[in-house]
Parts: sequence; structure tokens; C-alpha cells
Amino acid sequence: MKEEILYIKAERNIEVQKETVLLKDMAKMTCTNSHVLSKAKALKVYQFTQDGPKRQIISIVKIIEMLQSMLPNVTVENLGETDTVIEKVDVNEHKGFLQGIKIVFVSFISFFGTAFTISAYHNDVGIVDVFYRVYELVMGQKPDGFTILEVSYSIGLAVGIIIFFNHIGGRRITKDPTPIEVEMRIYENEVNTALVETADREELTIDVD
Amino acid sequence: MWIKQMLMAVIGLSYGALAAGGVFTVFIAVGLIPRFAGKTHTGYKVFLYEEMVIFGSITGCICSVFHEYLPLGRWMSALLSYGAWNVLGNVVLILFGVFSGLFVGCLALAIAEMLDTIPIFARRIGFRHGLGIAVTSMAVGKAIGSIVYFAQELYRYSE
Repeated sequence: MKEEILYIKAERNIEVQKETVLLKDMAKMTCTNSHVLSKAKALKVYQFTQDGPKRQIISIVKIIEMLQSMLPNVTVENLGETDTVIEKVDVNEHKGFLQGIKIVFVSFISFFGTAFTISAYHNDVGIVDVFYRVYELVMGQKPDGFTILEVSYSIGLAVGIIIFFNHIGGRRITKDPTPIEVEMRIYENEVNTALVETADREELTIDVD
Repeated sequence: MWIKQMLMAVIGLSYGALAAGGVFTVFIAVGLIPRFAGKTHTGYKVFLYEEMVIFGSITGCICSVFHEYLPLGRWMSALLSYGAWNVLGNVVLILFGVFSGLFVGCLALAIAEMLDTIPIFARRIGFRHGLGIAVTSMAVGKAIGSIVYFAQELYRYSE
């Protein structure tokens, strides 16, 4: 019998809602033999229990071991991650009252926090004083009331922020991801790496011996 | 005369755009919002949070630059009755205080963490357990420091 090659691309992090995790939940795979492929897809990888941990890290080596004992004459070729974080989430994670409160909470921190930060920055650099002197320098007389300088500064700041964050009122200006979206992915990757390495150090990873 | 006005408009616009770039690059590099969103599992609302950042900074900018020409409190107490604004104004103050305090507290520790202060210290002194106590002490220390700062008026210059 000809030896088959099963290509498998394991995900870095998956969230599942059901308790039984199959291989097709945590990896994408392909094989010329559809029989091998369907058997591999249905391989049971992990079973969450009611009061067990909600998060488990599985090494790809363990998966390969399981696949090889199930399908002896198949070569497994991993093209993806070497460790996968599996998280069990409750069904209604994106809904509910508590979720709404959390969203309001973070929105409030973002709003009042940045309002405070920019005011403190203006205070630090003495912006009123700077504008007073610039006005005097340019116009040769003392300003009475606020001037075009303050108005244009505020417009400039608003334009700068909107260009920086790349959207306004829920509409993107260009198709690039926004800075916080980029930072969010970086943060997720770092959390994942930390989870995998911590589990490895504490020997909680499901792995071959 | 209008040339000078134009010049000032250009100066103001450029200054504003650059200040926005500078301040918000630091702010993004620290990565506070992703952390809040990650902790609360509301990553899909990042757009809303960014909008709040945008409107928060524009509000803060207008309030601090036009400080003298925006007697908001007087307008509001004229609009409502004095007593009603007295209550509502305090609610706004509490909201502002609590949430800006939360933000600054997180910002301070996030900057310390970005510079790897805590991991380096922990490694140097062979620190294994009790990280929770260390973090709690930091929080308590900051709270006491803040109270002492305001109570003792440390912001005044000594003569």
C-alpha cells in the first residue's frame, strides 16, 4: 500500500463551545486519500470535564502520535503551530447584561482617561502660555480672548487623531487595520506564548513523554 | 493682516496634528486598550473603544485649551436650576475622577511593565513567590502617595 501524506496546519488558539474537541476543530488538514482525511478529522483530541480546567494546551507531537497509532501507514506533516491552546467558552459569551456593563466600563475609562491625559499634557507643556507668546510673536500685539491659533490647534489635533486611528463614526478611512487592532493581535500572541510556555514549564501540556 | 492669521492657522494645524501623533504613539505603544478589551473579553468592540479615545481626547483638548472661555458649569447651572446642577455636576466629577484615576493607574504600571522593571527586579533578587503582595503594595503605595500629594499640597513650590 502506498504511503499517504497528511498535511496538517494546527491553529495557535481555538475557542470551543462543546466539551469534546475533535482534531478538525484545532487544525486544518488535507490528504489525497479522503478516507484518511475523514478519519483524521474525527479524531478525538481532548474531553473537557464539568469541573476540570477550562483551558488546555496540546502539543502537536501528541497529535502526531495519536494519528500514527490510528493510521499506521500515514506520514503526518505539520505546517502550523507546535502547540495549540484550547479554551472552553460558555455559549453566550458575547451577550448578556454583564458584558454590556463591561463594555460601558472600558468605554468610560477610554473616554475620561484620554480626556484627562490630553489635559494633563497641555498643562505640562503650558500650552496657553505657548499660544500667547506665538500670537504675540506673529501679530506683534497681545491677544484678547482666544485666537485662530487655539481653534486651528484643536482642529489639527482632531484631524491628527482621526488619521492616526484611521476611522471616525464607525467608518474606516482606509482598509488598513487600526493601531489598536494591530496592538490587540500582538497582545493576544504574547498571551498565547506566555500560556504555552507556562504550561510547558509546569508540565501541564498534553505531550508525549 | 490675514497673511499673519493664515500663518497662525498653519502653525496651529501642524502643531495639533504632530501633538496628536506623538501623544497617541506613546499611548498605543503602552497597549492599554487591548489589555482592557482582552481582560473583559470584548475584543470585538475595539472600534467603539477607539471612538471613545478619539472623542475623549477631543473633549479634553477643547476643555483644556479653551478653559477660560468655556464656563460650562455656569452655563449648566443657568440651564438647569442651581441645585440640580450641584447634584449632577458632582456625579460628572465622580465619573471623571474614578475613570481617569483608573486609566492613569493602569498607565503608570503599564509603562513600568513595558520597561520590564518588575521582571528584572524579580530576577535580580531571586524573587519567586509573593508577586501578588508586591503588586498590592505598589497599588497601596500609589494610593497613599496620591492622597499625601493632595492633602499636603506637595504641588506647591517651596519658597
